[in-house]
Amino acid sequence: MTEKQHPEKRQDDLPGTQALFQEEMRRRLGSSTDIIYRFLALGPFSAVIIFIEGMADPQALIEALHRDLSLFSEIDGAEPARGLKLLKERTITLGKVGEVHTLEQIEAEILSGNTVLYIEKAAGALSVGTENLKQRAVEDATSQSVVRGPREGFTESLRENTALVRRRIQNPQLRIEERKLGTATCTAVSVMYMEDRVDMTALEELRRRLNAAKLDSVLESNYIEEMIQDKRYSPFPTVYNTERPDVTASALLEGRIAILVDGTPFVLVVPALLVQFFQSSEDYYQRSDFASLVRMLRYLCFLLALLTPSFYIAITTFHQEMIPTSLLISLIGQREGIPFPAFLEAFIMEVTFEILREAGIRLPKSIGQSVSIVGTLVIGQAAVDAGLVSAAMVIVVAITAIANFALPAFNVGISVRILRFVLMGIAASFGLYGMVIALIILALHLCSLESLGVPYMGSFAPLRRGAQKDTFVRLSQRMKKRYFNRS
Amino acid sequence: MYTKSLGCILLLISLTVLSGCWSRRELNDLAIVMALGVDLDKDGYAVSAQVMNPGQAGNLTGGSNGSLPVVTYKATGRTIPEALQRMLSTTPRDLYLAHVRVLVFGEAYARQGVGDAIDFLTRSHELRTDFFLLVAKHTEAIKILDVITPFEQIPANSLYSSILVSHKNWAGTGKVTLQQFIVELERGGSNPIMSGVQLQGDTSEQGSLKNVQSVIPKSLIKQAGIAVFKKDKLIGWLGEAPSKTVNYVLNEVDTTEGSIDSPDGGVAGFIITDAKSRIRISINEKNEPEFVIQLKAEANLTTLHSRLDLSRTASIKELEQRIEEKFDNLMAANIRIVQEKFDSDIFGLGEELHRQYPKLWRSYRKHWDESFQSVKVSVKSDVAIRRIGSVVQPQQKEMEQK
Repeated sequence: MTEKQHPEKRQDDLPGTQALFQEEMRRRLGSSTDIIYRFLALGPFSAVIIFIEGMADPQALIEALHRDLSLFSEIDGAEPARGLKLLKERTITLGKVGEVHTLEQIEAEILSGNTVLYIEKAAGALSVGTENLKQRAVEDATSQSVVRGPREGFTESLRENTALVRRRIQNPQLRIEERKLGTATCTAVSVMYMEDRVDMTALEELRRRLNAAKLDSVLESNYIEEMIQDKRYSPFPTVYNTERPDVTASALLEGRIAILVDGTPFVLVVPALLVQFFQSSEDYYQRSDFASLVRMLRYLCFLLALLTPSFYIAITTFHQEMIPTSLLISLIGQREGIPFPAFLEAFIMEVTFEILREAGIRLPKSIGQSVSIVGTLVIGQAAVDAGLVSAAMVIVVAITAIANFALPAFNVGISVRILRFVLMGIAASFGLYGMVIALIILALHLCSLESLGVPYMGSFAPLRRGAQKDTFVRLSQRMKKRYFNRS
Repeated sequence: MYTKSLGCILLLISLTVLSGCWSRRELNDLAIVMALGVDLDKDGYAVSAQVMNPGQAGNLTGGSNGSLPVVTYKATGRTIPEALQRMLSTTPRDLYLAHVRVLVFGEAYARQGVGDAIDFLTRSHELRTDFFLLVAKHTEAIKILDVITPFEQIPANSLYSSILVSHKNWAGTGKVTLQQFIVELERGGSNPIMSGVQLQGDTSEQGSLKNVQSVIPKSLIKQAGIAVFKKDKLIGWLGEAPSKTVNYVLNEVDTTEGSIDSPDGGVAGFIITDAKSRIRISINEKNEPEFVIQLKAEANLTTLHSRLDLSRTASIKELEQRIEEKFDNLMAANIRIVQEKFDSDIFGLGEELHRQYPKLWRSYRKHWDESFQSVKVSVKSDVAIRRIGSVVQPQQKEMEQK
């Protein structure tokens, strides 16, 4: 160790002189140009501060040190430990100051944006919270926009996000646990909950899973979602995510647990029930009767998005007797001369739509929208005119796509998109019979899912009558009592 | 473990793909049969099928080559399914029978008995049981399927909706589905009926578009009263008034129009808006059943060609009484006609007796059809006039006052 080279014995294992310390740090951090080493002569001591340019702003620290330079003359060389204490207690005006005693700690503090002050002959070094990362302002939550309700969305800064939630719940019971995850990225992850409302068994389970998670990097909350979700191979999400502080706050008040990850505005909420994915924060900001109707509309959209193409395929290729005669006449007329079987026809159109949708995300915002609209219209119309696809099929695909967008949670929309194709295949092979079997399997699967030990189908299976106040309908605040299934 | 489950998934996927989609049929592989006709032929049956021509019937934009919206195919065979299969030698697509809307029997075949055709119709899983059965009055079924109709592109649809409309609003015609026919056929105390159709007008160009290319179509299909069956054999036809009576007794009248003589001379027209009948049975001293048809009807006055003062309730009462009298007399007379002319209980009186006096029925069961001819049937109606329209006094009276 380096201290052996120095004659004077220190109380910690830091190098004894400023020069040796700098040398050791340079060895550890490499000679990156954004790491700034600044030498300071503080009275009898020589000191150095180390910070990363862009992440830390040590201006206030340096000013404080120079302002109180006289103080340092008081510090007796025989009592180096007192020097640090004095600095910490009397000089440094910044809020977050801590003593660090190992090189590893110093390294971590620097990398997380703090400034480290090293003073020769003192026991240990000081880490000063000068974190000042340039960050995005709080903006609209674009992924979950509402007509009425708060506009704020989370940002990429963890601290800012916790503050946004705390502002909504000014309650001493709100707890935040922080940990670093990802061996390479060392990302700060906060677990937030209400001490008096949280389901302790779920919280314990979450802690266990987070501890067991072996992650190299955490760049977005999905890295964590994948580690803590219950069944990896289910198409349905068992972790809810949101960009909205008000949704997070309401989940916390319901006794759920929020997981905030530094570097992403998407916050995870567990345990998640299926009904949650059909709720929008706006349901609670609008009249309850309207909200109830809209919510039922969403369930309808879920079914439409999931079943329309497969149902169309099933009845037109297996169950023609089920179609009313006049509708059948019109459908047959449209299908005259279409060279593909109904399944292929539907598949082509659905894939085309998925392509347009995917391309629409990548295209620059200004042209993205117009391209996707024009693309759909033009391709749809042209395909019908060319006799490749029947007009009814275009309507089927269009209603499916639009219904899909009506779902308030994007990730349940993805599940629907995957299952739609599976159901189309089954419908083309086995007709309605196959579809019914597939739906039974789907229902069984949903009932078997759990989110942190809480049944995923919540309030329906097992059925709770009291919980129906806020599932298909939303009763008004007077009639409603919040439901949370404490398993 | 992992490879095992992967293998299972692969097997399941190949199951869906390799099983070959049993019974899968694309819409454009089907020839939708809209109407079937059954006639006698020297070696069995002559079956005709009116098939939709989708390029013409459904498609508004598609290439029109001037063909008609339907095509009628004809084939013969010892059995109906055989004839239908033989028809495939002339049709380009598989015949699909689930959407048959009407089935027409030729009169000659109906007189011989339709039982064998009914057997096929009920045995085939593809056919529904809710299409209408018709008898082509004085003609062959194929003639009825060989008419181009106005309004509806598909003549079978035209026939179908005209049955519904005339039955609902005129009540002088029948509306019998396969299901109803079988039920009546298999019950002991009743006999089935069917509704009849006939051609009207110049039939020389009935099968071509020229038929509808004039303001007054040259030839039309007309609903032609009720065909009386004894078991599965056609035994005769009922005219308009007896047909209505049958529908009243069978509770099949929805609305119908009628007229009576006004008390002060002239005519009063009324519309029946609701009619319900019940069959009451009493046993007389000779231990014979006597039937009373109780009819409760609501009527609206539709026109009055007289000077009757309608502002007096007594006039309304008088009109009601006259309608009741008309019902009682006319219906009883019509029932008498059916009893005398045909020994076939199409009213289901025997069935009613069976239900109300099961013990007495036993002695009648064997020879009910003969007994039916001699039982006493009377009609007791109760009519209420609910509305007299937008004006109170008849026009003749109004003119008088000025």
